[in-house]
Amino acid sequence: MSEQPTHHSGLERLESLKKRAELGGGQKAIDKRHGMGRLTARERLNLLFDPDSFVEMNQLAESQAVDFGMQKKKVPGDGVAIGYGYIDGRLVFAFAEDATVLGGSVGTIHGQKICRIMDEALKVKAPLIGLYDSGGGRLHEGFFASKGVAGMFYRNTAASGVIPQISAIMGPCAGVAVYSPALTDFIIMIEGQSQMVITGPGVIKSVTGEDVTLEELGGSGVHSQITGQAHLVAKNEEECIKTIRHLLSYLPANNEESPRTVECTDDPFRQDDTLEELVPADFRKSYDMRLVIKKVVDNGEFFELLPDFAKSIIIGFTRMDGQTVGIVGNQPNYLAGCLDVDSSDKAARFIRFCDAFNIPLINFVDVPGYFPGVKQEKMGIIRHGAKMLYAYGEATVPKITLALRKEYGGAVMAMCCVGMGVDQMLAWPIARLVVLDTVTAVNLIFRKEIKAADDPEAFRQKMIDEYDHKYSNPFHAASNMLVDAVIKPCETRLQLIKALRMLKNKKRPEPFRRHGNIPL
Amino acid sequence: MVEVTAPMPGKIFDIKVKPGDTVLNGQEVLTLEAMKMEMPITATADGTVKSVNCKKDDAVQGGDVLVVIE
Repeated sequence: MSEQPTHHSGLERLESLKKRAELGGGQKAIDKRHGMGRLTARERLNLLFDPDSFVEMNQLAESQAVDFGMQKKKVPGDGVAIGYGYIDGRLVFAFAEDATVLGGSVGTIHGQKICRIMDEALKVKAPLIGLYDSGGGRLHEGFFASKGVAGMFYRNTAASGVIPQISAIMGPCAGVAVYSPALTDFIIMIEGQSQMVITGPGVIKSVTGEDVTLEELGGSGVHSQITGQAHLVAKNEEECIKTIRHLLSYLPANNEESPRTVECTDDPFRQDDTLEELVPADFRKSYDMRLVIKKVVDNGEFFELLPDFAKSIIIGFTRMDGQTVGIVGNQPNYLAGCLDVDSSDKAARFIRFCDAFNIPLINFVDVPGYFPGVKQEKMGIIRHGAKMLYAYGEATVPKITLALRKEYGGAVMAMCCVGMGVDQMLAWPIARLVVLDTVTAVNLIFRKEIKAADDPEAFRQKMIDEYDHKYSNPFHAASNMLVDAVIKPCETRLQLIKALRMLKNKKRPEPFRRHGNIPL
Repeated sequence: MVEVTAPMPGKIFDIKVKPGDTVLNGQEVLTLEAMKMEMPITATADGTVKSVNCKKDDAVQGGDVLVVIE
């Protein structure tokens, strides 16, 4: 006959279960991780949240499986810690997979726990952070495990555009463990520590015969430079956690709120004469658009995303007048700032995030067009380029465009112009808003006349000068109301802030359809 | 060993390093003229220049190895 439980015996049993849960895969496994310079799931969560604010949920949930030795292997918590807490005083939900328990594999309860915390985050509309460290589905549990996995994907999708979702890849993640983060808004990886692959080197070797290491296949270098899957790369775990906190500071809790406005310690009407030196009036010379952005925004702080992927376009968050702003800028230093397949994808998804979460967009334009070439055409530049048009056309947040130098051809629309529903279209006096660059345009328009002229070169030059004077400037566009104001470069900051202030209460219509059908 | 490649077809406008030079990640190693523009091509790692595989005015293709850093 069992003894009657007392408060004391109940507490003792609780303590022992909690202790087991917190030990995860055991002290040996924890020591091994620490030896590798890695933290445990709970250490990561404590670092992520404000001190002592993290509240763990379903800590005692454990695998119900009994086959293949699971009864001996199971641990309270089932290899994932879930809960909520506060980051900079704001409510945030999170889960952290624990690789010391069965490799962080997604078992039935493990998956259900993650689904549980996703449901809570959606219920109260607060951001969700996922710290992934999982080898994939738990094979011991057979097809049962797939329920939790599918539930994660389903909820990631349901939460998209409702609450911000940030994923950090804390270790090697494979198979199902990478598609959940892939459905979220932002992914952060750790140099040399995290990898993301669908099929690992072993399977690849057996199927295609290719020899490749896990790092070569899905390390942070691959995903930050080639696939564009990793928005940011941290040097170590601490930097990764800090980056998540920093990123969150720019974002609202959900789609019904605006980002928190911070006190602006930078003069909103500050003028900057160095902008004219930074941006050469000679269009043959390039420059780093990042430096222009940093000179214009509050305190020079620009939180760039995907800095090493599709480098001809720059995206990121910043603040102006203390308010979060999304920046999209062409980068003349790379591919002359041309739009291509990857840069279109990069910008379009960022524009849609900003639109979903009430973040105004400012576009710094210096674009010669779409990147020409057989490869780009065959890679589908039409389909990919259309994403930018769609994203800007669809966006109802304040949209402000500044033409610095080149606004050429079809790329003009892709960077949001008057016809695309821009709210304020500004231009510097050296900007050229044209369909084609002058030489090409003159050669096409006057092909016959140039050939027939007594002095073809002199005639061509005469036409170039005439065309330039008439069209290759912002004044022609301003006379047609295709530019709202031509502004002095030194006044860029104050003019953008005035436009932002004016647009603060821009009325945004309720969506009238389920969703459009963006070219994907 | 790290290869610095041409991001797009163009003409070598200027070469700023020679074999044996120490370079830093992000440092301009040469200038490429393409799309009617002069653009910096930068080192992708810290190291020593092992070889420069092009000369001024060379026409290069996207993907061509221009500089090798060790």
